[in-house]
Amino acid sequence: MSSAVSVKDVSFTYKTDEGQSTGTKALDGISLEVASGSYCAVLGPNGSGKSTLAKIIDILEIPDDGRIVVLGTDAQTEDDFYKIRENCSYVFQNPDNQIVGTIVEEDVAFGPENLGVKLPELRRRVDDALKYVGLYELRHREAASLSGGQKQKLAIAGALAMEPKVLILDESTAMLDPISRDEFLELIEKMNREKGITVLTITHDMNEAGRCEKIFVVEKGKVTMEGTPSEIFSNPEGIRQAGLELPQDLSLLYELGKITGNRAKETDIRTPEDRLNTAVRFAESADAIPDMPKSKTRKRGRKILEVDDLSYTYDGGRSYAIEHIDLTVYEGEVLAVVGRSGCGKTTLISHLNGIVRPQSGDVLFYQDDGTVYSTSRRKDIPKIRQNVGLVFQYPEYQLFEETVRKDIAYGLKCTDAPTENIESRIRGAAIISGLPEDVLDKSPFELSGGQKRRAALAGVLVMKPKILVLDEPAAGLDPIGRREMFDTILALRDIGTTVVIVSHNMDEAVRYADRIVCIRDGRKAVEGAADELFASEEKAREYGLTMPVLYDFASRVKQSLKEKYRRMTPMPPYADPEAEAVSIIRSVLNAK
Amino acid sequence: MLNNISLGRYVDTGSILHKTDPRLKIILYIVYLVAVFIVDSPPALVALFFITMLQLIVAKIPLDVMWSTLKPVLPLALFLFLINIFTIKQGEVVFTWKFITVTDYGSSRAILMSLRLVFLILSTSVLLTLTTTPLKVADALEYLMSPLKVFHVPVHEASMMMSIALRFIPTLIEETDKIMKAQESRGANYDTGSFVNRIKGYITVLIPLFVSSFKRAEDLAVAMDARCYRGGKNRTKLNPLKITGRDIAVFVVFLAGAAILIGLQVYFAR
Repeated sequence: MSSAVSVKDVSFTYKTDEGQSTGTKALDGISLEVASGSYCAVLGPNGSGKSTLAKIIDILEIPDDGRIVVLGTDAQTEDDFYKIRENCSYVFQNPDNQIVGTIVEEDVAFGPENLGVKLPELRRRVDDALKYVGLYELRHREAASLSGGQKQKLAIAGALAMEPKVLILDESTAMLDPISRDEFLELIEKMNREKGITVLTITHDMNEAGRCEKIFVVEKGKVTMEGTPSEIFSNPEGIRQAGLELPQDLSLLYELGKITGNRAKETDIRTPEDRLNTAVRFAESADAIPDMPKSKTRKRGRKILEVDDLSYTYDGGRSYAIEHIDLTVYEGEVLAVVGRSGCGKTTLISHLNGIVRPQSGDVLFYQDDGTVYSTSRRKDIPKIRQNVGLVFQYPEYQLFEETVRKDIAYGLKCTDAPTENIESRIRGAAIISGLPEDVLDKSPFELSGGQKRRAALAGVLVMKPKILVLDEPAAGLDPIGRREMFDTILALRDIGTTVVIVSHNMDEAVRYADRIVCIRDGRKAVEGAADELFASEEKAREYGLTMPVLYDFASRVKQSLKEKYRRMTPMPPYADPEAEAVSIIRSVLNAK
Repeated sequence: MLNNISLGRYVDTGSILHKTDPRLKIILYIVYLVAVFIVDSPPALVALFFITMLQLIVAKIPLDVMWSTLKPVLPLALFLFLINIFTIKQGEVVFTWKFITVTDYGSSRAILMSLRLVFLILSTSVLLTLTTTPLKVADALEYLMSPLKVFHVPVHEASMMMSIALRFIPTLIEETDKIMKAQESRGANYDTGSFVNRIKGYITVLIPLFVSSFKRAEDLAVAMDARCYRGGKNRTKLNPLKITGRDIAVFVVFLAGAAILIGLQVYFAR
């Protein structure tokens, strides 16, 4: 097979506007070959250079050194660059920042118009592309009115209309909910299969990478590992060292292996069936009953926040963003609010501190001395905002002060907080958010993406809220960043903060939350502890919940085992791979 | 809270005015603009009111959309009204109280000025923004200004910049709303407090908005590069502008409306 993309010894350093080098090399003599018609993924932690790599393949950055050949065009002159971009389309992370046209079809036409494609060929291409991605019916709509998932499909249509041979996806699914993400990936895979388009996807999502033919792991501007998903993932130590993590099903498989003294070979994890069989084999080979890891059953605290029959409409009653929601939050718990994009989650949490005032129904905050504050009473609002901290999605956008210190202190200045221990409160908030002390005097705009988010979090924590509400706190972070963010959240819980997180990642919701509430089409679909909600797969589907990857795999493993050992008693699922592995092995041994 | 402002937004109702060639609409718009500014006699103003209402009906613009377009301008109209009514001292005095003097000429000017602003917004919305997509406006301007290319005026680039600016209005409004909510959660207050404090409050919105707009602009530039944008040379158009018989008919009817207005004005102004 010939190469669609060939990168050889390429180095690149970002320059400042004055043309000075910023010092560190984003790419450091990187080489890779992408076979024509293949579907490949590039993995790597934030700052590894993977996005730069994607941009440099499309010659959106010009390499300092080395050679790039795309579909036989050696990138030398301005005309070569243009030719490469003509054949190689690019879809970015943020759907809003790549839409040029106001109307859906105008945006799709933008690329081919630039290529000088004439009518009626131009019309045919636009219509075909829109039909292919399933947006043809919406072609006269305003692009800004589409949902996130639709906007990314629009970007794909815009690429498709240029009839590219290579498609580069730069974290294109990062902002999508699981269902939109699946639809998007299915579309990409269909294009790869039917049209033979070579796909290179940059991603943080290991489950997504597992669907590809080949994976490149990039660290510090170099490719450090490459191979099929099973080759890459059969090296769990290497994966962890590279700052990545395993897909959830494999982490369960390796935990089973660790306890029973087995090690999975590459051939053991190639297909889903291989993985299932291997996991079953590992579980059966156990001979000693392992100890259950200590699970902390946490006592339910008193009622601290109550949502009472809350409804809200944006258009005077024609449709409701949320409808008749009742919800109780207990002190000290972590509550996850899950649901698809646009289901009303954000509207719901915007009510929790009175940023959006209730139209009908109420939100009540119970202070520990028994006083009740209501968001429908204007004079209660400052008190509620002090006690209920709200961190919106991508909170780094709210930073504005000259220094991080001043930015964190902003909330204190706005309220009549005592002035004497401001400094210690700022430091305290910075420490618990995981912000190093030396950044406090820097401008917030100099920080890295992850640090900005922590600074924004500190700006809310400085108010010492009793309840912290976070909308998708880990969105857009790499695996390490995600884990650290959730560790911070658990640390907050341990010092007594009640936490409400909004998430569409079900695996994280079941892992970190004590209780889950699912919102569907503006109504509360179901509420309960994870092991109750997912005790049976049919039930979970009935509630409209997407099965976490770990639960899904575990339930299939248990199913197969049950067919062999009829006496096996069903066990509730655990969200931690280690606990789940122990639980499976114990039930097998008991049945034997 | 900002989402219900539709100033500068396109609303597709599929009316005949939506389908009319944008170049003709721009010419009509200029004609009506002139008319709005020269009309000052009451009968002509009444006619202007009815013609504008007719235009609204022809464009099938729902009343609530129209209202949300006008709403943000009303404070300015009120301001114009107050300034005129209290500062113009010419004419017969009709009312005095302490230092306030209102004259008949002053009050008629005040009414006229605020009405002009309202009609200005109405005409702009009906003839242009509500019924024409920004890209079409840009296309039309590019065409109408193409003679300027002789003088090396970057007509294509200017029109592209304009259409992108318009395209991002809803996105930035959404973003502003989001930032305001985030700052309010941290205790910012935009509604109460002293004037200075409120201005300070807006700084907490404007800085993040600027920063993110620059980021968006950078991203968009790269995205346009990736989609092979190289300026106007050799670019084709999905929907090239074409003037049909129906367009001419609409143009003539609207022009006639403007002619009536100007006719009435000239007749009654004597």
